[in-house]
Amino acid sequence: MAHLRKILFNLMAWSIVLAVAFPLFWMLVTSVKPQFELFRRPPTILPETWTFEHYWTLLADTNFLVYFRNSVILSSATTLLVVAVATLGAYSLVRFKYRGRESLAFLVLFTYLLPSVVLIIPLYLLLVQLGVSNTIFSLVIAYTTFALPYALWLLRSFMAGIPEDLESAALCDGATRMGAFRDIILPQLLPGIISTALFTFILSWNEYLYALVLVNSDSSRPLTTGVMNMLISSFNIEWSLLMAASVMMSVPLIIVFAFLQSYLTRGFGAGGVKG
Amino acid sequence: MAEVVFSQVKKAFGTFTAVHGLDLHIKEGEFVSLLGPSGCGKTTTLRMLAGLEFPTSGDIQIGDRVVNDIPPGQRDIAMVFQSYALYPHMSVADNIAYPLKKRGVGRADRDIAVAKTAELLQLTELLKRKPRQLSGGQQQRVALGRALVRDPKVFLLDEPLSNLDAKLRGYMRVELVELHRRLGRTMVYVTHDQLEAMTMSDRIAVMEGGVLQQFAPPAEVYAAPANRFVASFIGTPGMTLMDGELSKQGGTWRFDAPGISMDVGALNDRAEPGGACLGVRPEHVSIGQGSINGTIQVVEKTGHENIVIIGLEGGQRLTGRVPAPQSWSIGENVQLSLDAEQAHIFGPGPHGPRLNLPSNIATPDLKSAAN
Repeated sequence: MAHLRKILFNLMAWSIVLAVAFPLFWMLVTSVKPQFELFRRPPTILPETWTFEHYWTLLADTNFLVYFRNSVILSSATTLLVVAVATLGAYSLVRFKYRGRESLAFLVLFTYLLPSVVLIIPLYLLLVQLGVSNTIFSLVIAYTTFALPYALWLLRSFMAGIPEDLESAALCDGATRMGAFRDIILPQLLPGIISTALFTFILSWNEYLYALVLVNSDSSRPLTTGVMNMLISSFNIEWSLLMAASVMMSVPLIIVFAFLQSYLTRGFGAGGVKG
Repeated sequence: MAEVVFSQVKKAFGTFTAVHGLDLHIKEGEFVSLLGPSGCGKTTTLRMLAGLEFPTSGDIQIGDRVVNDIPPGQRDIAMVFQSYALYPHMSVADNIAYPLKKRGVGRADRDIAVAKTAELLQLTELLKRKPRQLSGGQQQRVALGRALVRDPKVFLLDEPLSNLDAKLRGYMRVELVELHRRLGRTMVYVTHDQLEAMTMSDRIAVMEGGVLQQFAPPAEVYAAPANRFVASFIGTPGMTLMDGELSKQGGTWRFDAPGISMDVGALNDRAEPGGACLGVRPEHVSIGQGSINGTIQVVEKTGHENIVIIGLEGGQRLTGRVPAPQSWSIGENVQLSLDAEQAHIFGPGPHGPRLNLPSNIATPDLKSAAN
């Protein structure tokens, strides 16, 4: 009986893995199939002829690299800004006592509860007035508005897990407040900072709606809207190119994740030590 | 080395006052314990001395300098925390070297100082390890090392032994006293454990509700508690406290409670006829003969002595301490007497002051006896 249950559990787990992994696999094989093999019936699971022509076409004949560069700049800048502000904000919320501290934290979270669609028009008008509309910078600001609240709360809970005694000890040992923050708090907070950065990066890399509304020049478009705009028209969808683009869009995320995941799980002896 | 002076120091957190107008003069080189139950303001007092909290009013002086607005790093103090507060990402050596690094000491000098401190605390083998790879006792020694590596004016210790097991605690108590004797530095030690305070301190500051109750050597705190709170807080098993009436007959005072009645001799001029409290330490109860009748209710055998709880006729309970050979069975009726010379009379209320004359004190030197 127990044996059967184990088999059933395994079966279920593997079907879920398969269901999640299959589209990725299909994306990958479609991107290396020649055009004529795409819609053949019955479909071929592995391509009969392997080709990288779609990748070449994308890189050589289209704006793909421009979009890619924009996405990298956009996501990195957003991540840097969000992590910097959220780290200092979380430190303030956890360590200093001032009037309205809790309400402030909740107000910040409140913006996160509103649907993006509600915020997008006021944000657009604001960016136009600031004279930065239709630039990558405008998207950095827009993404920060929705990534920051979550990042702040995430880092706040990480920060709250760092014993105050550690900082007090550093102060007694002769560190200034900024010195204690740099020497003691930051290294302790590193797992939190990395997961926050990862979260923010993925969010900005995949964002579509704001990019669609706030930016409409090719020089500033990120990958999400750029690729869609370029390959999907009312009459035709360039499936092969789309899949090749999708693969290349996913690769940076997979690399970032694979690299940082080890940091996430390392643990760093989180929190203080008690006897 | 420096003396520490608190002058009318008050600390309020919003509407809650943690410390009320504290006056405390700690002499140069003295080992002083701040003793009291949780929430008595002892840790707040220590944190104000460290500069981690700032007094709402009053002055704190270290040496000849008023330090009210001086940040912790510039006060020339070193603090050991209850949680040890070791920096988890640094090795033992880096932990100990950190205070020197922050004061701009060069690497070569730092290494020498760390090696010396490590040797003193038997940490040399552990210098490369991270704090989480150490046992509780080892972590505690690293925390001490971080304080000792400099030569601060004042050492502050916030319940440094409370996370250790009983045996190690006993060992570290002796080590700390030894360390204090060797360094001759002023040490301020916060604890809720009266045994630590009694055995280690030159003087004990007993606090409750943010108010200093008594500041005196351990023997005096034990033999002549300033008020009823101190009397009830110090001593294991505790002093028996009985509420009753005080009356004056000629030149001497008499104390009456249900089942008990005794002459208490002369009292100081704060004594007034009316409600009062009689306090008797267990060792001042003699069982066997006397004018007081009671029934044995509980006998606790600790090996070298027996703790006996006796119910008196009026419903009061009295704790006595007798050498092990003497034993009574539960339910036995006994006669007993109290040593009137050693009995304490306190005024009414939980903080009623001691009314005995000052001469009525026998003060054995507990600290040297403990060593």
